[in-house]
Amino acid sequence: MKPTLVDLIHISKGFDGQLVLDDLNLSIHENEFLTLLGPSGCGKTTTLRILGGFESPDSGQVIFDGKDITNLPPNKRNLNTVFQKYALFSHMSVEENIAFGLKISGKSDAYIRDKIKYALKLVNLEGYENRLPDSLSGGQQQRIAIARAIVNEPRLLLLDEPLGALDLKLRQDMQYELIRLKNELGITFIYVTHDQEEALTMSDTIVVMNQGYIQQMGSPEDIYNEPQNAFVADFIGESNIIEGIMLQDRLVEILGAKFPCVDVGFGHNKPVDVVIRPEDVDLVEPELGTIQGVVSHLIFKGVHYEMEVQANGFEWLVHSTDMFPVGKEVGIHVDPFDIQIMNKPESEDEEAIGVNE
Amino acid sequence: MNKKKLLSGPYLLWASAFIIIPLAMVVYYGLTNTEGHLTFENLLAIGTVENFKALCLSLLLSLISTIICLLLAYPLALMLTNMNVSQHGFIVLIFILPMWMNFLLRTLAWQTLLEKNGIINQILGFFHLPAVQLINTPYAIVLGMVYNFLPFMVLPLYNVLSKIDKDVISAARDLGATEVYTFRKIIFPLSLPGVMSGIIMVFVPALTTFVISDLLGGSKILLIGNVIEQKFKQGSNWHVGSGLSLVLMVFILISMVVTTKYDKDGEGGMF
Amino acid sequence: MKKTARNIYLGLILLLMYAPIGTLIVLSFNSSKSRSKWGGFTLKWYRSLFQDEAIMSALYNTLAIAFLSALIATLIGTCAAIGITAMKAKWRTVIMGVTNIPVLNSDIVTGISLMLLFIACRFTLGFSTILIAHITFNIPYAILSVMPKLKQTNKRTYEAARDLGAGPFQAFMRVVFPDILPGVLSGFLMTFTMSLDDFIITHFTKGPGVDTLSTKIYSEVRKGIRPEMYALSTLLFLSVMVIMILINISPKETDKKAVSASAKKKRKAPLYQVIPAAMILFVTVTGFFHHLRTTGSVSEKQVIVYNWGEYLDPEVLDLFTEETGIQVIYEEFETNEIMYPKILSGAIAYDVVCPSDYMIQRMRENNLLAEINWDNVPNLKNIDPTYLEQSQSFDPENKYSVPYCVGTVGILYNKTMVDDPVDSWDILWNPKYADSILMQDSVRDAFAVALKRLGYSLNSLEVDELIQATDDLIEQKPLVQAYVVDQVRDKMIGNEAALGVIYSGEALYTQRENPDLEYVIPKEGSNVWIDSWVIPANAKNKENAEAFINFLCRPDIALMNFEYITYATPNTAARALIEDESIRNSSVLFPSAEDLKDCETFRFLGDEADSYYNELWNKVKSN
Repeated sequence: MKPTLVDLIHISKGFDGQLVLDDLNLSIHENEFLTLLGPSGCGKTTTLRILGGFESPDSGQVIFDGKDITNLPPNKRNLNTVFQKYALFSHMSVEENIAFGLKISGKSDAYIRDKIKYALKLVNLEGYENRLPDSLSGGQQQRIAIARAIVNEPRLLLLDEPLGALDLKLRQDMQYELIRLKNELGITFIYVTHDQEEALTMSDTIVVMNQGYIQQMGSPEDIYNEPQNAFVADFIGESNIIEGIMLQDRLVEILGAKFPCVDVGFGHNKPVDVVIRPEDVDLVEPELGTIQGVVSHLIFKGVHYEMEVQANGFEWLVHSTDMFPVGKEVGIHVDPFDIQIMNKPESEDEEAIGVNE
Repeated sequence: MNKKKLLSGPYLLWASAFIIIPLAMVVYYGLTNTEGHLTFENLLAIGTVENFKALCLSLLLSLISTIICLLLAYPLALMLTNMNVSQHGFIVLIFILPMWMNFLLRTLAWQTLLEKNGIINQILGFFHLPAVQLINTPYAIVLGMVYNFLPFMVLPLYNVLSKIDKDVISAARDLGATEVYTFRKIIFPLSLPGVMSGIIMVFVPALTTFVISDLLGGSKILLIGNVIEQKFKQGSNWHVGSGLSLVLMVFILISMVVTTKYDKDGEGGMF
Repeated sequence: MKKTARNIYLGLILLLMYAPIGTLIVLSFNSSKSRSKWGGFTLKWYRSLFQDEAIMSALYNTLAIAFLSALIATLIGTCAAIGITAMKAKWRTVIMGVTNIPVLNSDIVTGISLMLLFIACRFTLGFSTILIAHITFNIPYAILSVMPKLKQTNKRTYEAARDLGAGPFQAFMRVVFPDILPGVLSGFLMTFTMSLDDFIITHFTKGPGVDTLSTKIYSEVRKGIRPEMYALSTLLFLSVMVIMILINISPKETDKKAVSASAKKKRKAPLYQVIPAAMILFVTVTGFFHHLRTTGSVSEKQVIVYNWGEYLDPEVLDLFTEETGIQVIYEEFETNEIMYPKILSGAIAYDVVCPSDYMIQRMRENNLLAEINWDNVPNLKNIDPTYLEQSQSFDPENKYSVPYCVGTVGILYNKTMVDDPVDSWDILWNPKYADSILMQDSVRDAFAVALKRLGYSLNSLEVDELIQATDDLIEQKPLVQAYVVDQVRDKMIGNEAALGVIYSGEALYTQRENPDLEYVIPKEGSNVWIDSWVIPANAKNKENAEAFINFLCRPDIALMNFEYITYATPNTAARALIEDESIRNSSVLFPSAEDLKDCETFRFLGDEADSYYNELWNKVKSN
């Protein structure tokens, strides 16, 4: 594991009596692409602003490269931010925008000129030096905003939903561009988004947040395949979340039928939540299935078919490359390692606190 | 879309009848003499010692007032923007409300405040401080101008400043700028449209006022506005009056050119 | 620390903004009529306010003009904004340039240019011309406040509404209008306020008998504002403040309770509508009452009177209308020089005017006067023949004028402040009284003082003498506290100055208010003046005018006017009716021939000499 660059220790922050972050702890490693993912209001942007120095936490510490920077103003921090709506200086040319930070740190003119050239090349906007930001498209403005941040060679780059305002195609292009940039520059990225696909595509590590708490932290694969609670399962991708009873180790009862699984340690006859991804539901001949049902909806999605199957009083969402027409009786089979068992929260609050214990 | 354009018809008619034609009449009067012959004498009347003095004094006093207004209003507008008052209307209200007390009465009230035995001197006397002699001096006129036109500086400034994206300021700080540097390089340049329109909104009425100098200057101080008013209302010499108005309009034209240069999108408005 | 500094700064600015307003509110409860003296708490001005016909009608005009101009301007402006937004960029720039003219142009030029237009088109200056002028300067503000909202509106919503089957008008009203409504409303409010607060443009475009609060106040400035004005302004200010605070506070409460955005909107909308609704109600109600009062005596017969400020008992006008059925339209002026161009321009056909001696001569020589038919003025017999004789200096055959008030010009001084004997104009050049001297703010009066002091005629045409007088006036200027007209009175009562040049008629009133004051005709001689009624040549109601003059010459009426204005009357029958013996025989009011031996009346010196005087006076003023 690479050395730690940033440590957020017991960070709490409230606005007007509303707690936005509650005792948040987070470590970010050097050269990591870390994504803060969550619905709006989950505290991800506040976390970023505390890192950037635009908000100060009510309690807790921010350690950057071994030094406590909790009360340092933004201009004294060796990190830079790419803002949601780019926040370009509309009265300055592209060149002046990019040179802004370099001039402040007192770099020589020659150095600045080289840097601008280098940065513009890096973001594929050579020759745009004298344009005004307002004359550029959204994607171009975005790239200038990135160029403006990276010329300062920060140890850490904070990106606050930088692609939110772009259209789908452009967004996808920019995702690759960002990954390329990160690899070329070798700096740490902290990326805030509410778009799970973006997070899954780019990140080394994803931190799923909700209501001021970290719900789960891990690699994209971990998050997707092993959601630790219903919120994460529901927020990342599509899933069938079904109430079940853990009969014993490696056996769960779902909708009256017994399914073998791989999970252990939940005890006997314990109510649990069961998560099954739609692509993990196998449709087979009725007699081969663990339970039987009838196809009620069918849509062609290109890569696969999306079907809904009524079985034992539950509407199963199924993705499959095989097509079963509406009205057809089918059997449902799930491989044991595709079944994810989660403890049932006893209250709403517990659901939020989730996995940190 | 064509039909929509027709909606501006009434206004275009109105504007040509009551804005353009009257202006043309001022030009006509300004360039002719009583016999109706073309002459530049009326324009040159600005060159007489008295009128030139009045013009220079007007320029000086309105310039001072404008600068004071700017210096007072800028920090004020910054504070108001940072106060995070959710009610934009409330701010506007504070500065518009005084306008419901008649302009003349408000100015007259300053007489009561500033007079020799006025309220300010009585308060100073109470604390055994020396009395100030303000009334009937250029200082009183400047005070009157600042007082009357301050809202016209505050409102456009507040407007542009509150429209600046907070993230832009954060971005500058993020890139290493100190607060002072951020103000110099980001906030101030971005607020220029408001500054410009504020300057115009204060400078033009201050340059041409005759009421304030009348009421607070004791008629001892003659501004160009007083000269023109006299030409129309007392001396009955409309030609010279129009000529002088034309000279004044040169200054106003200059201001218009300046504003359109800095305020292309009209963002520095009052509202 | 930073916060305290900020609050102190905000506090100081608010103090600056609201100190004069507080002062005015306090003055509205001041039982003394003088601005500079606190006479105890009273509510009487609030009571008398509602009985004051002139103020109420000015209020009605102000509100009606403000409301109508704001409404029309907002309507035209909103349409224009929509049209302009739909135009090509080039045209838009041109039109917005024109639109900016009234905003950026000075009020004085806007007012003058409109006045020139109205006069050239022979529009009668009056209510409608003020309204047009106000609409003109209001439209740009309406456009400028609607325009940004239009730019923010999503163009697709209009198309969506059309797509869903709405007609163009319907689509606009249902979809676009609600979006731009805040801009329209703030435009309305802004224009209403601008119109309410305007003085300069109204000043140039108003006609006789029509006053707004602004012009009413301006004409009163010179003779002292009546406290009813303070009371009225206080009421207006406070009611607007209450409405505004209500509007601004209620949505705030809902904010705190975190009510959904739509609910907030719903709450806010009716309150926004409250203002215009309240205004409409107010204007119609006041208008209705205003009409009720005046309709009682509506008649075809009228007479337009143009008189000095506060130079006639208003009750006299009511009596006149009552007795003769002739409606009086009453207009006031401040100086002869202001009155003359109005008559000359003929923009308004006045029926009776009250100029001073020299101005009557000037009007006569310029054929601006009509001969009075003496058969219609039998009460002329009450006028002291010596004054008719004196009138011959400007009206040689007594054909045009009937003396109304007479008097002298002298020095009013405060016994407690002046310890030198006051018997000569020289004292006005005594540096001991620097900054305690009040001079008259009119050419001839100021020069009369200087010329008489030098021993010259106050009708001098000698360039040497005039230049000498000019130099003296320039030399005197640093000693002068202010050049004023009727304000001498209030300032002397309030102990603001030690010495003031004043008309003898004011002496009586000022002595009554401040017993330390004394009036003197300097030994070098002074100006003796006669203000007389004349009928302009373009009068439309000449017989009514003669009836009016005859009415004023009736002893009881002349007495009423004397008691109201305290200027000496040439009406011997009226003087005999004065009860107070000390007044009847006052040497200040009715000086003996001995007192007047070096005194002269002004004569009109010709246009050329007049403009020479003006030029010299400008030199004094601008020095």
